[in-house]
Amino acid sequence: MEAFTILAQEADKAAAAASSAGFAYGLAAIGPGIGIGYLVGKSVEAMARQPEAAGMVRTTMFLGIAFTEALALIGFVVFILIGL
Amino acid sequence: MLRAVVTYGSTGPEVFLSAEGEEGYSSYKYEDCSIIPEGKDPQESIESLEECDPGPSPIMPEAKELYWGAGAFIVFALLMRFFLYPRLRKSMDARYESIRSSHAEADQARAEARGEVATYEAALAEVKAEAAARIDAARATLESERSVQITEVNGRIAARREAAAAASVSAHQAARGEIGTAVASVASRTVELATGTSPDPVAVSRVVDEIMSSGVSS
Amino acid sequence: MLALEFPPINEILRWQDVFPSFNKIAIIAVAAALVGTVIFLIAGNADGSKAPRGIRNFAEAIVEFIEGQIIMPTMGRDGLGWTPFMLSMFSFIYLCNVPGIIPIIQMPATARMAIPLFLSLLVWVVFIGVGFKHQGLGYLKSSLFPPGVPAALYILVTPIEFISTFLVRPFSLTVRLFANMLAGHILLVTFALLTEELVQGGNIALIPVGILPFFMLVFLTAFEVLVAFLQAYIFTILAAVYIGGAAHPEH
Repeated sequence: MEAFTILAQEADKAAAAASSAGFAYGLAAIGPGIGIGYLVGKSVEAMARQPEAAGMVRTTMFLGIAFTEALALIGFVVFILIGL
Repeated sequence: MLRAVVTYGSTGPEVFLSAEGEEGYSSYKYEDCSIIPEGKDPQESIESLEECDPGPSPIMPEAKELYWGAGAFIVFALLMRFFLYPRLRKSMDARYESIRSSHAEADQARAEARGEVATYEAALAEVKAEAAARIDAARATLESERSVQITEVNGRIAARREAAAAASVSAHQAARGEIGTAVASVASRTVELATGTSPDPVAVSRVVDEIMSSGVSS
Repeated sequence: MLALEFPPINEILRWQDVFPSFNKIAIIAVAAALVGTVIFLIAGNADGSKAPRGIRNFAEAIVEFIEGQIIMPTMGRDGLGWTPFMLSMFSFIYLCNVPGIIPIIQMPATARMAIPLFLSLLVWVVFIGVGFKHQGLGYLKSSLFPPGVPAALYILVTPIEFISTFLVRPFSLTVRLFANMLAGHILLVTFALLTEELVQGGNIALIPVGILPFFMLVFLTAFEVLVAFLQAYIFTILAAVYIGGAAHPEH
């Protein structure tokens, strides 16, 4: 066996890496997806209730989205790192 | 060393064994790379596609990009801080200031104009009152003069009317006398022709008078 | 079956060097600085006493956006001195993002790690520097030992605060910009490849189907315009939040 370099295993490893990368990204996207949906929904509600505060609500909403989204983006970076 | 190359063909996995240096030891050549590295023969066989230029890592920062990006940003930020932004800001502030001052000027001008309008209206009211007073006075003078003149003219008209009435009465009397004389002479002539004697002129004229006055009345 | 071969991510990002140590990303970065300079130069040269028009109007709109939407809500009136810094950061990031959708160039310079990393390290250095300048060593105290926490909890809170303030901030700032732009770039590549494969794949029946990914490509290109602006805005407003927070501790 030592005499062989078995490329098939290499290929298996690459396939496993690719699918686990996909899983990593998919799982990382769930939480932020729910979070951003909730956040934007609440912000729209707040803006509808108090249109005069819409500017402040929007700024805060973007900040919140930025923080929430970071998790999904870290998942994306992990996806690239594993997938390579 | 032997190498086993496993590929997935149409009939399932195919295993291909080859020794180092043999034909088919590797299934890849440089021409299989998406970009053929410079200075390489496309037909030269390589162990795997890893030997092509792998391209930059998607995660690791590259020094040259870091230097150029940082240099470009620093130059841009310094230009912005010391040159571009102050110029823009200065003229923006100057414009805002001029807008603000012209607003104030406009307010002041409006207030001044309002004051002038008020003075003008006061003067106008004064003049109007004076004009009304003068008109009233003139009207009163006119009225009195007119009544004086009317009475004078009326008096004159009455005098003339009386004179005219007297003149017409006298003319009437004169005409009547002449007609009486003419009728008397005609009557006396007629009597003379008929009787051969001339009647008493006094009686004739009396008769004529009687007849004329009764004839006129009857 | 489609013979769709998606290239590895490295290949999407590979560009031949123009000359050693100067590649496409460097061109875009230099061009971004140049375009920004030219825009503000023209705006500065225009007659400022009349109502602004054209490029000057555009530049003044950006300045007022930075002041009204980024600095005033986060740093307040004291932060207006940071306008040139925020203005150049916003313009630079936007002008680096937007080549991602300009035909022929089609590469956001921020989809590579270098520029976001540099900018967030700069913001990191600046906000820590501002913290020490405004509060001295009290900055460490107010950021690591937030007031109003029971003393026993500091064992738990202080490491978390340290990690989140001094380590996660620059990291998340970098990754947010970089990953957003890279993801957008990969999406565009995916749909462009799919369109090309369907239309030129040799199967006539699949050519009409190629319209679908093409429409998706057009839609995503329009979406990337928004993303380019939004990421520049978010990066700048987070920088403003960090700097403002360092200058004035939370009460």
